[in-house]
Amino acid sequence: MNTSYPGRVVRVNLSDNKIERQQLSSELLRAYLGGRGVGVRLLWDDVAPDVDPFDEGNALMFLPGVLTGTSTPCSGRTTVSAKGPATGQYLKTSVGGYLGIALKMAGVDAVVVQGIAEQPTVLVIDEQGGRLEPAGDTWGQGVKETTRRLKQRYGDDVEVACIGPAGEKLVRFAAVMTSVYNAAARGGIGAVMGSKRLKAIVIVPGRGGVRVHDPDRFSAAARQARELLYNDSVAPDLHKYGTARDVDILNELRLLPTRNFQRSALSGDAYNLSGRSWPKMGYLERIVSCGGCIYCCHRFTRVSSGPYAGTASGGPEYETVAAFGSGCGILELEPVLAANALCNDLGLDTISAGNVVQWAMETAEKGILTEDDLGGLKLSFGDAEGMLELLMMIGERRGVGDVLAEGVARAADKIGHDSHRWAVEARGLEQSNVELRGAYSYALAFAVNPRGPDHLHTECLAEFGGTNEGISLVEKLTGDKSLAVPDTEIGRAKIVRWHEDMYAVTDAVGMCAFSTTAAYSLDEHALAELVAAATGQEISGEELMKAGKRILTLERCFSLRHGLEPSCDDRVPRRMMEEIPQDVQKGEPMDRERLSRMLKEYYELHGWDPETGRPLRTELHRLGLDFAAEVAVGPCEKGGSR
Amino acid sequence: MLKRLQIYEDRCTGCTSCQLVCSFAKEEYFSPALSRIMVDVQQEQARFRPRVCIQCAEAPCIETCPVGALSRDEATRAIRLDKGVCIGCRRCVEACPYAGVGFDEEQGLPLICDLCGGEPACVDVCRFPQAIRYAEEEGDNS
Repeated sequence: MNTSYPGRVVRVNLSDNKIERQQLSSELLRAYLGGRGVGVRLLWDDVAPDVDPFDEGNALMFLPGVLTGTSTPCSGRTTVSAKGPATGQYLKTSVGGYLGIALKMAGVDAVVVQGIAEQPTVLVIDEQGGRLEPAGDTWGQGVKETTRRLKQRYGDDVEVACIGPAGEKLVRFAAVMTSVYNAAARGGIGAVMGSKRLKAIVIVPGRGGVRVHDPDRFSAAARQARELLYNDSVAPDLHKYGTARDVDILNELRLLPTRNFQRSALSGDAYNLSGRSWPKMGYLERIVSCGGCIYCCHRFTRVSSGPYAGTASGGPEYETVAAFGSGCGILELEPVLAANALCNDLGLDTISAGNVVQWAMETAEKGILTEDDLGGLKLSFGDAEGMLELLMMIGERRGVGDVLAEGVARAADKIGHDSHRWAVEARGLEQSNVELRGAYSYALAFAVNPRGPDHLHTECLAEFGGTNEGISLVEKLTGDKSLAVPDTEIGRAKIVRWHEDMYAVTDAVGMCAFSTTAAYSLDEHALAELVAAATGQEISGEELMKAGKRILTLERCFSLRHGLEPSCDDRVPRRMMEEIPQDVQKGEPMDRERLSRMLKEYYELHGWDPETGRPLRTELHRLGLDFAAEVAVGPCEKGGSR
Repeated sequence: MLKRLQIYEDRCTGCTSCQLVCSFAKEEYFSPALSRIMVDVQQEQARFRPRVCIQCAEAPCIETCPVGALSRDEATRAIRLDKGVCIGCRRCVEACPYAGVGFDEEQGLPLICDLCGGEPACVDVCRFPQAIRYAEEEGDNS
C-alpha cells in the first residue's frame, strides 16, 4: 500500500560505526503520526534517565513529518529532537529549509544518531542507505564554508545539515543549521550533534520520491488546504514583510521586549527594525521560502555600504530582531543584520544568544561584570560593537564567552551577586521575545512548555484578537469572543490546551506552525483529510487532536522521568513574575498566584493531578501510554498498566 | 492570443513547490527529479532560477529531433513527446536555448512541460511570488 510515511528509520551508531535500517510498526505510526510524535516515542525507549545530554547514550533524531515531501502547503518542516543540554529534559526543535524534503526523497522518514565518533565525522545518506566519512577540513569551519566544502565534495545538489564552531564547542545554545541559513535552533540541539563529533549530515537527492495512498483524494485535499491558506488574513503581510513585519507596531503597543525585558518599548521609533521598512531601505535582497511553502516568509538581506558592508545572510526573523535590536537597546538594523549573520555562521540560536548578551549588558551596567572580566570590553545596552565581539567570544568559548556559552542560568550560578534576578530563563532555557506580562495564554504556555519558556511549542496568537479567524477560534474554545484579549486569565487554559495539541499535530505532520496557529483557516478536519489521503489511515479530526495530546503528554512524561519537578519547573522567568516593565505605569507582573490558578485549571483540563501536575494513570491509559505509568500518579486503570 | 508560461526569475523564492506539484501531476508521485519545471537553487546567495519550456515560437527542440518524437499541440502550443518514438538522444535537451528541457536518466526520456493540457499545476502554487505565470501578455504586470 502506498503511503507518504512508511516509517523507514536509519539508525546510526557512531561509537561502533554501524548503520542499520529499522521499520516502524503501523500501530506506532497510527498513534504518533510521524515527525515530532515518532521522535518522542523513540526517545522514550532510546534514552535512559541517567544519560547526560552529551553522553553517547543520547539520541539525536532528524524527523520529517507525515506530509513532508508532498504538495501539502507549508509542509517542508523537520523536527530535530534529543534530550536537551539546556534543560536536561525533553527537547524538540523544528527547522525548515530543504532538509525534510531531501530526506524524504532519499527514502528516509527518520534518522536516529547515537554514540560518539572517534574522529569528526560526516554522515552521508542516499537512496542506497548511509555511510560515515571523515569530516576532514570542515571541522572548525563556519556554516557557510562547511556547506561550500561539502557541496564541492559530494555535489552541488546535496542538502547539508551541519553545526558551526559553536556546536563543536558544545555551546549550550548551539543550533543545527540546514540549507545554510535555516536553524534547528533552540535548547542546544547543535551541541548534542557536536558532542557526537558529527559535523554534518549530507543528503544525496533521490528519484524514488514520495507516494500517497489516494492521489485524486490527496490532490483535492491539498488544493483545498492551499485555498484556505491563501485566503487567510495573515497571509499577504507574512509573505510581503516576513515575521518581523510588526516590530514597530509592537513597540507602539508597548509589547516589544527591550533591554533584557526591563522595558517594553524602545524610546525611539522602531520602524527601522520592522520588516516593513527593509525593502525601502534597500536591505531586502529577496523573499525566500522553505521547501514546499506557499507563504515564503523567510528573507535574504544584505548590507551594501557603511561599516557593516558585506553582511549577507538569511533572515532575520522577528525573534532575532528583538534579541539583538530592542533587547540590546539597539535602534539600527545594520548591527542586527551583522549579529544575525554571525550567529548563522557560528551556528548559534539567536534567541538565546541575544538573551545572554542582554544579561551580560545588564550585569555589566550593574558593575558586576567588569571591563577586566569582559576582556577589555566596556559593555552596555546600545553597544553594537560589544554585542558582536561578545558573540564571537561565545562561539569560540574565549574568555568570558566560555561562561556565557553555558547559558544565562549557569552563567548566573557562576557570576553570583543575585544575577539570577535578571536571568530571563526558566528550566535553564532563555525565554523568547514575548512580553508575557501582557499576554496570559503565552505566559501559561511558556510555563508548561517542556523545552522551556518559548512560543515554539504552543503559539497562542489568537488571544490577541488580531484577526477574525483568531477571534472565532477563541469563541469556539471559550464560548465568548470577548475573551480574545491577552490580559485576562479567564479561558487561558482552554486556549492553551487547543493550541498545544494543534502544534503537536502540526509538527508531527511536518507542517509549519504559521499554517495552523497563526493562520487559523486550516483546521484539524482539513489536516485529517490530508493525512488520510496521504497514508490510507482513516483518521478523524478528533483522533488527530487526540494524537497531538498523546504526543505532548508523552513529552511531559519523558521530562518527568528525566527530573522535571512541576512545582518548581512549571514557571516563567523571575523577572516576569516579580517586576513590571519600568516604562509601563499600569499592569501587573505575572505573579505566582495568578499563574498557579491558571496552571491548576490547565492540569485539570489535561486529566493531570491538579496539585502535583503529574498525569493521572487513568489519563495515560486513555491515551495508550500505560508504559509511562512510572511517572504518573493515581490508581491504575482496571486491567491497565503494570 | 494564446497563453504561454512566463518566468520571472527575480521573484522566485526557491520554495520548489512547483517541482512537487509538477511531478505529481505527471507521474502521480512527488519527485523533483521527474519534474518538468526545474529550479536551480543557489542557497548561499539565495538565487533561484526556474527553468521550463516556455512554448517559444522557434521550437528548436522539434527541429533537432532526429526521429520526429516531438510535435506542437495545436490547442495550447505545448510540446508533445511521443515516448514510443523517442530514442533518448538528448538533442532536444541541448537544443533548448532556455535550458527548459530536463532528462530522466532512468527512463532515458526528456522531461518537457505539456502545460497540463492548459491548466499548468505549477502556477497555482506560485500565487504569492508570481514567479510563474500563465498569461497572454508578456511583461511585468504585477
